[in-house]
Amino acid sequence: MSRLAATDHKQTAAKIAVASIFFFLLSGLLALTMRAELAQPGLQFVSDHTYDELFTMHGSGMIYLFLTPAALGLGLYLVPLQVGASQIAAPRLALFGFWLYLCGGLTMYSGFLTNNGAGDDTWTATIPLSNSTGTPGMGMDLWVIGVALAVFGSLLIAITILLTILRHRAPGMTMLRLPVFSWTMLATTFMVVGSFPVLVVAMGLLLAERHLGGVFTGSTGSIVYQHLFWFYGHPVVYVMFFPFVGAVGEAVATFSRKRFFGYRALVVSLLFFTALSMAVWGHHMFITGAVKNQYYSLTSSLLAVPAGIEYLDLIGTMIGGAIVLRAPMLFALGFIAQFLIGVLTGIIVASPPLDDHVTGTYFIVAHFHYTLFAGSLFGLLAGVHYWFPKATGAMLRERLAKASFWVLVLGANLTFFPMFFLGYDGMPRRVADYEPRLGDLNLLSSIGAGVIAIGVLMVLANLVVSLRRREPAGDDPWGAQTLEWWTSSPPPEHNFERPLPQITSHAPLLDLREHEEEVRERRVEVPA
Amino acid sequence: MTGGPRAGGGPLLAWSSIMIALGLMLAIWSGGEAAALLFLVGPVPLLLLAAWSRLRPAPGGPRLLARVSIPVVVVAIGVALAAIGLTGGLWLVLVGAEVGVFGLVWLIVEIRSERRRAGG
Amino acid sequence: MASTRNDFASVWSLYLWIGIAVAVLVLAAVLFAVVRYRARPGRAPSRRAEANLLEVGVAIVILAIVALLVFRTFHTEAKEDDSSAAGAVRIRVDAFQWGWKFTYPGQGVTVIGNSDREPNFAVPAGRTVSFALTSSDVIHAMWIPGQKFKKDAIPGRVNHFDMEFGGRGREQGLCSEFCGLRHSNMRFGVWVLSDASYERWLAAHR
Repeated sequence: MSRLAATDHKQTAAKIAVASIFFFLLSGLLALTMRAELAQPGLQFVSDHTYDELFTMHGSGMIYLFLTPAALGLGLYLVPLQVGASQIAAPRLALFGFWLYLCGGLTMYSGFLTNNGAGDDTWTATIPLSNSTGTPGMGMDLWVIGVALAVFGSLLIAITILLTILRHRAPGMTMLRLPVFSWTMLATTFMVVGSFPVLVVAMGLLLAERHLGGVFTGSTGSIVYQHLFWFYGHPVVYVMFFPFVGAVGEAVATFSRKRFFGYRALVVSLLFFTALSMAVWGHHMFITGAVKNQYYSLTSSLLAVPAGIEYLDLIGTMIGGAIVLRAPMLFALGFIAQFLIGVLTGIIVASPPLDDHVTGTYFIVAHFHYTLFAGSLFGLLAGVHYWFPKATGAMLRERLAKASFWVLVLGANLTFFPMFFLGYDGMPRRVADYEPRLGDLNLLSSIGAGVIAIGVLMVLANLVVSLRRREPAGDDPWGAQTLEWWTSSPPPEHNFERPLPQITSHAPLLDLREHEEEVRERRVEVPA
Repeated sequence: MTGGPRAGGGPLLAWSSIMIALGLMLAIWSGGEAAALLFLVGPVPLLLLAAWSRLRPAPGGPRLLARVSIPVVVVAIGVALAAIGLTGGLWLVLVGAEVGVFGLVWLIVEIRSERRRAGG
Repeated sequence: MASTRNDFASVWSLYLWIGIAVAVLVLAAVLFAVVRYRARPGRAPSRRAEANLLEVGVAIVILAIVALLVFRTFHTEAKEDDSSAAGAVRIRVDAFQWGWKFTYPGQGVTVIGNSDREPNFAVPAGRTVSFALTSSDVIHAMWIPGQKFKKDAIPGRVNHFDMEFGGRGREQGLCSEFCGLRHSNMRFGVWVLSDASYERWLAAHR
């Protein structure tokens, strides 16, 4: 019982992992139901209203309750270990944040039990449709309240990570010696602090609008809401990206047996990337005619520069290395290849004349599923497969992991690539039915969803089997570079039992190994 | 272990500067659109945090931490119940507030007794 | 004002081909790295972890590509925003849950329909059509996929845009902004007619 109130960051992070997996599976089931409905033209399984609840709760669940908390949870677990701290700063605050997030998620989903059903006005709840006339009922209220709780809880967790990096680094770990993953987490917390409060306020105002009215009024009311929402709504997708590109960076470095390439360039690009990502939200509003399209088009297109630098760094890390294709590396490569498609289609929609055609269609659905699913989720899986041995002391089954990777690659591309064509050819978003001529591609996509389901089950099976019949991992099964691998697997309560090595860069263990190598070589050269 | 890490505010400063520049750019380009003010939501707390971290660097050394804190969970549940009460009814807001206050008091007691045990 | 369709095609091509080129380049580089630098006995990884000149160079190249794309985009948008409307056909569009009302001010023609009966309005081919779009309840969006263009219909706001329709025949239109229960049934049609047919259509609908 008291374990539910444990303050150790590793236990709080484990709780976040369990909760986010639960919401992922729940929201995933909703997606499978949607794809079952969309497999053929016509309405076979669900009503229009139910379908509206499905896509609303799928999107909301995945963003507010799965990928964002998972990203922050990964940071909550790893950052103290990576910076050589014995505990997160403000452990009670992190625990508090977790419970708010969990309560928020349960509140959102409890909408399904109400008369009018769960929230059904998309994950963005645009005014005026989301007011009490457009979307009446308690289910929508519970959605609004649940979102506010979950996002506020996430904000608190991010704050503890920020404070830890700021104030609990081990001696010798300057900011420019933070590991790659911790740097991406730091940049992530900036975005969270800078945007999540705005969403909480927006939800509060939306609740007030629903119960008291008079908040979002006049001809600009709906536009004001969109500014408040999207000011959070864009950075949040980067919150669901940066920790995972950091995980990928760590895995690529470890499995290339090389130092991460272009560390300083990465730091500079992270600062610009995360700031820029806060300046692009208007691109979600291009077709309203109410924003300065040119400003947002420029800032959105400029994102390509830091993104390109990060890709250069990842590839540069591999070149000249001695690459070992273990499961984490496969998922990392999957991320690199697939996220790229998301980025490039993102550049397309950063152009208002092009966005004018494809926004609000399945083209956009494809774009963000390439970034979030084929990209970020693969990055998360890279991190999971990489750090699972550290967190549990057990290795994951390598062959099952690789098989699940290939199944997921097939599933992801089969599901989402056809959607580019569907959108371009005239299929809008958020529809339970479509013109019969679009049936073939929809069927293909639905089959892909089934393949994804199999891949997900394989990953889950791997987690369960590996915990039941353990293969001991040891402290550092991969020959990695950062401080979390210095301690035992799993780490003891206060993270480090023996004194830390000297910290001379962002890869202390690699430094140690290279130093020992040099000493050995010098000893060999010295004549007897 | 000797010497603590430096304050670490550099990145916060750098990021905040970029944000303010981008916000100014929007303000000028859009002719003073209010949305540009949103760019301050991040920099204000981050700059304050950076300043605080510089003025009051972390003392380093062992910290006093609780292993378990049930009152924290109680406060969280109280907040959630009160929030749900905004649609569920005043009675729920009151229940939530009660639970929350109870948890808060418990928390204060918990923290105080911890400090006393450590100090004594 | 040039037809949005023409502009769209060339801008889309530019972005698409540059995107494909970048994708091929990056994927080739990744594949190359994975194959060429696979761990082999006796191979020691290089210690090289920095090449600042390369980073700056790549950043500049990407910036140049972005500049090209943005310039082309701004150029096209300026043309689309330029709502000159002398002698244009004017149509006012009111979107509502869940249908459309098309009014030809000064012509005495109104077409209205909803999810039960899809409304169809007519335009003359090759002439500028000036739309004034709004909504009477929630946000909708008027999308004509054949025109490669959509615009939000926002209550309390009128969005103005011009279009020029080529060819002849019927173009399908639909709502592309989620607007509630019958969002997927909120369709309409556009008849693109010759000048003479268009005048006849107007007369028939007065």
